[in-house]
Amino acid sequence: MMDAAELTMLASTLGQLAQSYDGAQLTKALDDFGFAEVLQVAPQVAVPALFEAMGRTGSTSAALQDVLALPLAGTAASGEAQAVLLPPIGGELAGSLVAETVTVRGLFLGQRSAPACFVAPVSSAGQTAWVRLPDTAALTVRPVAGLDPELGLAEVTGSVPADAVLTGEAAGQAWRGVAAAGRRALGYQMLGAASRMIELATEHARTRVQFGRPVGSFQAVRHRLADAFVAREGAAAALGLSWEAGDEELAAMLAKSLAGRAAKITATHCQQVLAGLGFTSEHPFHRYLARALVLDRLLGSAAGLPAEIGALLAAAGRIPRLAEL
Amino acid sequence: MLAAEFRAVVRSWIDDQDDALLHDRWQDGGVDVLLTRQRRIQRKLFDAGLMRWGWPERVGGLGGSTVLRAVLGEELTGRGLVHTATWSMHEVLGPAVIEYGEPSVVGEVFPRLLRGDEFWCQGFSEPDAGSDLGSLRATARRAGDTWVLNGEKLWTSFAHHASRCVVLARTGEPGSGSRGISAFLVDMDTPGIEVRPLRTMADVDEFCSIAFTDVAVPGDRLLGVPEGGWRVAQHVLSCERGPIFWQRGAWLAYHLGRLIGTARDGRSLALIGEAYQLLWAFRARSMGTQRQIAGGTLPGHEASVDKIMIAAADQALFDAARELLGGGMEIGDSPESAAWRREWAYSRAATIYGGTSEIQKDIVSLRLLGLPRGG
Repeated sequence: MMDAAELTMLASTLGQLAQSYDGAQLTKALDDFGFAEVLQVAPQVAVPALFEAMGRTGSTSAALQDVLALPLAGTAASGEAQAVLLPPIGGELAGSLVAETVTVRGLFLGQRSAPACFVAPVSSAGQTAWVRLPDTAALTVRPVAGLDPELGLAEVTGSVPADAVLTGEAAGQAWRGVAAAGRRALGYQMLGAASRMIELATEHARTRVQFGRPVGSFQAVRHRLADAFVAREGAAAALGLSWEAGDEELAAMLAKSLAGRAAKITATHCQQVLAGLGFTSEHPFHRYLARALVLDRLLGSAAGLPAEIGALLAAAGRIPRLAEL
Repeated sequence: MLAAEFRAVVRSWIDDQDDALLHDRWQDGGVDVLLTRQRRIQRKLFDAGLMRWGWPERVGGLGGSTVLRAVLGEELTGRGLVHTATWSMHEVLGPAVIEYGEPSVVGEVFPRLLRGDEFWCQGFSEPDAGSDLGSLRATARRAGDTWVLNGEKLWTSFAHHASRCVVLARTGEPGSGSRGISAFLVDMDTPGIEVRPLRTMADVDEFCSIAFTDVAVPGDRLLGVPEGGWRVAQHVLSCERGPIFWQRGAWLAYHLGRLIGTARDGRSLALIGEAYQLLWAFRARSMGTQRQIAGGTLPGHEASVDKIMIAAADQALFDAARELLGGGMEIGDSPESAAWRREWAYSRAATIYGGTSEIQKDIVSLRLLGLPRGG
């Protein structure tokens, strides 16, 4: 157990690391710090602190893999030097297993030096199963440039022989846990990006003078930034309370969806407020925009998650409160 | 008493009632029916002690955290037993009257409000002072031990059913703005008060105009100090933006629950999911606000965020309802269709009452984001 002062220190240290380092250097700094270990002790402090800071600074690291690995701990799908494959955009799982051959189509985020193997949640006879893919050379790994080349996303495809290492209810449960952990982390990263966009646009609105006054003194401009701020606050509250919620799966879906929604609203308004400046390559705005757009696509988007949430509610036949006063 | 413990007591109390008024009869939603039902429920809750938790002992309460009041409101509105429009009166006006009222007056009238013996109303807005409340023109002139009140109030909810009204009136010079305003607790049966109900577009006699003509208000009905009305008003508005939103959220969740069986396809599920996620974001936000209030701090400028969120969730929910009901709201003649029409219409006011969303966005952008005030 860590006391309140230690937790504050932990949060502040992780924030500083994300600000000082990027990419492989940040991954190394986090490994040296023992991020995977603190994650086990205080995930509700470590995840918000690191991922929001990464979102805010635009840095990347392999920390998502530590987050995804945690719910697998103690199952047959856990292991050293492996990486979890995420489903492709719009997909439910990262492939399918038929007759001891797995056809993989997934996304890999959070590069350490090339992983010894992948583990992937796949569909098998209508159920979720986990497969381990030790022969990474037999798969096609395409580094994704796309909209956000600095993110370090890769697409993994191919067909290889594989056995399920985890099946049945345990496999489904492990996947729901991994998805929830991933959604929360990505949600915080988008939240950080949204916060930074608001800061950039607010600063611009305070200092940019037109018609003899700061543009931020015009109500039309101010109200755009207020809308962005309110959307961000809603996502922040939903992410924060997701750690206390009775249904972790549902709360994480809600948090990810709201964070994606907030990032979209924020990006739209901040882009408009930043006007021509925000459209240039030298202004940092577009990097946050690109980061938010790509992260929104992973593990369910703000456009797609509401229907999944609605389906869970319809299946339950009631409206859960999720957290009580 | 702890919130969880209190919640269990309230729930089992509701379950144990065999009074038909305590069963879900949300479709009979006319104001008279609503208020009659609320009066009865409030009386029973008061007698059972449940209505008194969270209020100070000196005014008839049993003490305890304000969270208990939020829990009670949530359990009642969350089952559709009382309407948020009427369950809010004691929550909005009570705390400010307790804080600023003459103790002997408060000790006499507040327990009646709590017990459901009487309802109160809020006389703030005027024909020419809505969002710009500081420019109000009703006046109160001192005459010996009494004040003489003149002017007109507008959009006063349930004034025609109210026994008392918290009135803001100018006691300073014309043009003295928010500094020259005093607050009073006025008995509605005082000679010189004329109440005229205004029918809403939901076909409900909810709000009223009140004309005050030489109304004599005893000196001990001043709330706070002369010219101290703005502080009283801020206190009321703070309560309006804090605790009562919590139960509005529960009321909305209750309505969403009534729609869950209508989901047929991906589009309907998405509508339900979207409405739910906005409610959840609000709930998460408001949870922090409720805890802050329980800790003894009234919500400040940050509560404007809560107000914007709940108003947006409110309208999104009833817009979703309209679509999910597949035309039932527009052309259905059942009592249920009529109730959805009323509730949809009421939701249109969510971005207007208690300070418009535009005023709230001004507060957010000026106070929370630090943007400069414009011309």
